[in-house]
Amino acid sequence: MTATTELAALDALGQAELVARGEVTPAELVEAAIARIDAVNPELNAVIHRLDGRARAQATGDVRGPFAGVPIVVKDLDGELAGAPLHLGNNLLKELDFQGTTNSYLFDKLQQAGFIIVGKTNTPEFGLQTTTEPHAYGATHNPWDVTRGPGGSSGGSAAAVAAGLVPLAHAGDGGGSIRIPASECGLFGLKPSRGRVSVGPQDGEVWNGLVARHAVTRSVRDSAAVLDAIAGAMPGDPYTAPPALGTYRDAAATDPGPLRIGLRTSALASMCEVEPECAAAAEAAAKTLESLGHKVEIASPPALDEAELVLTFLSVVGANALGLVEELGRMTGRTITADDVEPGTWALAESGRAVSGVQVLETLHAAHSWTRRVLSWWHDGGYDLLLTPTLAALPPQLGQLNPVDGDPMMATILQTPYAAFAAGFNVTGQPAASLPLQVSSAGLPIGVQLVAAHYREDLLFRVAGQLERAVPWADRRPTVWAG
Amino acid sequence: MDAVAQAAQVRNGGISASELVDAAIARIEAVNPQLNAVIRDRFELARAEAASPDLPDGPFRGVPLLLKDLSCEVEGEPLYEGMQFLKDADYRGRHTDAIAQRFLDAGFVVVGRTNTPESGLLPTTEPESYGPTHNPWKLGYTPGGSSGGSAAAVASGMVAVAHANDGGGSIRIPASACGLVGLKPTRGRVPTGTDFNELSNFLIAEHVVTRTVRDTAALLDVTGAPRTNGATRAPTPARPFAAEVGQDPGRLRIGLLDHNPTDSSTIDAECVTAVHAAAALLESLGHIVEPSFPSPWADPEAMLRFSSVWATECAHVLDDWGEKVGRRITEPDVEPLTWRLAQMGHDVPAPQFMGTVVAAMSEARAAARWWRDADPSGFDLLLSPTLGEPPLPHGSFPSTPEQPLTGFIRAGDFVPFTTQANISGQPAISLPLHVSAAGLPVGIQLMAAFGREDLLIRVAAQLEAAAPWADRRPPVHA
Repeated sequence: MTATTELAALDALGQAELVARGEVTPAELVEAAIARIDAVNPELNAVIHRLDGRARAQATGDVRGPFAGVPIVVKDLDGELAGAPLHLGNNLLKELDFQGTTNSYLFDKLQQAGFIIVGKTNTPEFGLQTTTEPHAYGATHNPWDVTRGPGGSSGGSAAAVAAGLVPLAHAGDGGGSIRIPASECGLFGLKPSRGRVSVGPQDGEVWNGLVARHAVTRSVRDSAAVLDAIAGAMPGDPYTAPPALGTYRDAAATDPGPLRIGLRTSALASMCEVEPECAAAAEAAAKTLESLGHKVEIASPPALDEAELVLTFLSVVGANALGLVEELGRMTGRTITADDVEPGTWALAESGRAVSGVQVLETLHAAHSWTRRVLSWWHDGGYDLLLTPTLAALPPQLGQLNPVDGDPMMATILQTPYAAFAAGFNVTGQPAASLPLQVSSAGLPIGVQLVAAHYREDLLFRVAGQLERAVPWADRRPTVWAG
Repeated sequence: MDAVAQAAQVRNGGISASELVDAAIARIEAVNPQLNAVIRDRFELARAEAASPDLPDGPFRGVPLLLKDLSCEVEGEPLYEGMQFLKDADYRGRHTDAIAQRFLDAGFVVVGRTNTPESGLLPTTEPESYGPTHNPWKLGYTPGGSSGGSAAAVASGMVAVAHANDGGGSIRIPASACGLVGLKPTRGRVPTGTDFNELSNFLIAEHVVTRTVRDTAALLDVTGAPRTNGATRAPTPARPFAAEVGQDPGRLRIGLLDHNPTDSSTIDAECVTAVHAAAALLESLGHIVEPSFPSPWADPEAMLRFSSVWATECAHVLDDWGEKVGRRITEPDVEPLTWRLAQMGHDVPAPQFMGTVVAAMSEARAAARWWRDADPSGFDLLLSPTLGEPPLPHGSFPSTPEQPLTGFIRAGDFVPFTTQANISGQPAISLPLHVSAAGLPVGIQLMAAFGREDLLIRVAAQLEAAAPWADRRPPVHA
């Protein structure tokens, strides 16, 4: 058997290849992942629910699929996994030890692809923060600097992958929650188009369509192959993205032709300052892209400078938060009070009480009208991609963004630099990816974001694969590493 | 001649666009005074466009078309949506909606606008602003709604096809009441407007009412062409819909629903007769028909809950119009039903609105299990009457300041079968297979799984060939 530590450096397709060649068994892969989690997770607090027994049983059974036998972890949010805890970063669900009884389509498809789920990862309460420090389970630490956060809301997943516990992890993104932790932990994180991955059977759409689900990975090809496995309409979906023409895995291996790329280093709607190192990362990526034959201009959709939408959208966020609190009541059969959720969650939900249905409709209509203005830059303006920093700031110190029991509106303001480039593309529903192209002077990962037109994940995978081949990041290791 | 035949004539030089348009204008002038289907004409503009070398060389070059006066905005042209205050303000379109642009690019010549109930809220077409549209099969009776003006115009032969849209049955209802083919496409197939996308008004589907299945199919290749601006969310068809006409649908498993799914009312015997005859016809064509329907539809509360969504939409629409015309819309500006619904809508808190949408999506998800795409032993199609009753006399859906909701509530018994497809986004088609003893059309509805218009068109064409309706003419006909 290949040593546990050597396995840590392999991506998921690399591990699957070893299984296919008979050099390692699924059971050995799972044991190795369990050993790495045992060894490293105490430093990180990334994996909060262990599923060792379930994983071991599956690994010795009949495992098939392109990822047969490869151990992964999934976020403790985004739908049920049968027989596993579902606590959503919430203390009441933790106390009740709430368990999933069915599989979401996504978790079903991951298992059908051969993945073996060895644990569930930490998330801020209901995924509402850009950092992963829930009161229920405590903070997850960034493997590059354990005094800092891993980003959020898929911070547990990102920390686990960055530290080599598993080659990839499920993640979800309603306002940047795949891309933000990918940037802070030095991973590849692609948010797919709206409607690409079904959120059923539990939901038709989540957060009015803001939420897209997929994974954080170390390699581009892993991300592509996972999306090949989980994409596609399921019965009862209210709408669906048009299928890709080829496989994403092929796209990741194929250079794109020369592209026209717009570079923007100022935050959307100028909602915050951008740290020079973040802007410089995007500028450096622009130079790399130019060296690969692409044309990069300083340009971006003018609609990204409109500010009104940000404010109106906060009302919908509040109303959705109230929906989450009401859902918590249905799950637990209780009347939820302020004691059952974090103060920030409660305050956000309370702000949703004053919102009317008509306001929601108005905001959605305004959002979709804005989407058309943004997209005209791609469709009428002739641009292929938008290049930005993923974040306007470097990974924050733990406690910096989410002062315990502090003013929740202050938390929102503090987190602005982390959502400033990402969240707009949840509104438009476009695919967007964070690539781990830079490291700060202090040794912290800095991601850059590429955004494509609707349904053009194929283009993101092509250019991401090209960048990965040109400036590889696979050998970069964080301070905390399971290898 | 249907639209496909007219277009072929223009293409091969048998007839000119101007001749087609002049003929349509003559028919409208002859018949419309009896029906009040066309409420605004643009005859002079249409004649000029038909004669112009700039007339786009699309698949329907020179074919006259009527647009419903609800959405389908055209820059610079009047759009009143059945509302007196917009008529008074002579509201003009500020942009051209994608659906309108597609009609224009296809070469259609728009000869006028058709009547609609105020804001499209009722399954009849009797707005105060323009008065009632008559059913060409029986004057004094409703043509259905909300696309009743379009349906009456096509049924009486004024034009071959007319634009229609469907947020709760508004293509299928008038198609049934006027003896036409009416397909509501899958959510996301046809663009719903420039300002909106499928998510912001997810109930509404745009398309047309026609006399032939092939017109409905060929038009869907125009209205439902894949978009380049990335807003397509309906699965892309394997080939043009027009090519599905005449294709063998295979042996289908079809569920038969011949009663109100919530059992809240009985449906008229003529509708039962119509659907049983259609079932027998389908069986004679080799299909398997058995009583079954998606069980979540039986929930009597579902539609009631959903009315809060309509009310919220109504409130939003009035707010939006207020913004566009630069003043607040007040009670005297609109009909009592519209005002009452908007008031109710303003009282709906966000969580209730969003919760209702979420619940509707879950119910649609549960109902989806009934279909073959979810379960290999499931059903291909659902067969039901389109309506619970044959066309009713004018005045059957009243709204007064004292009792604004009477007609709206009454509509529930008239339309027990159509709204489910708006909520789930599935395609459904009304076909004119039956005529009542009183000589009024009674349609049957076939519904398919999400994205399966191809299957609906195949089986609709098969039924049209087996039980043709082309020779049936209403008493009022050009």
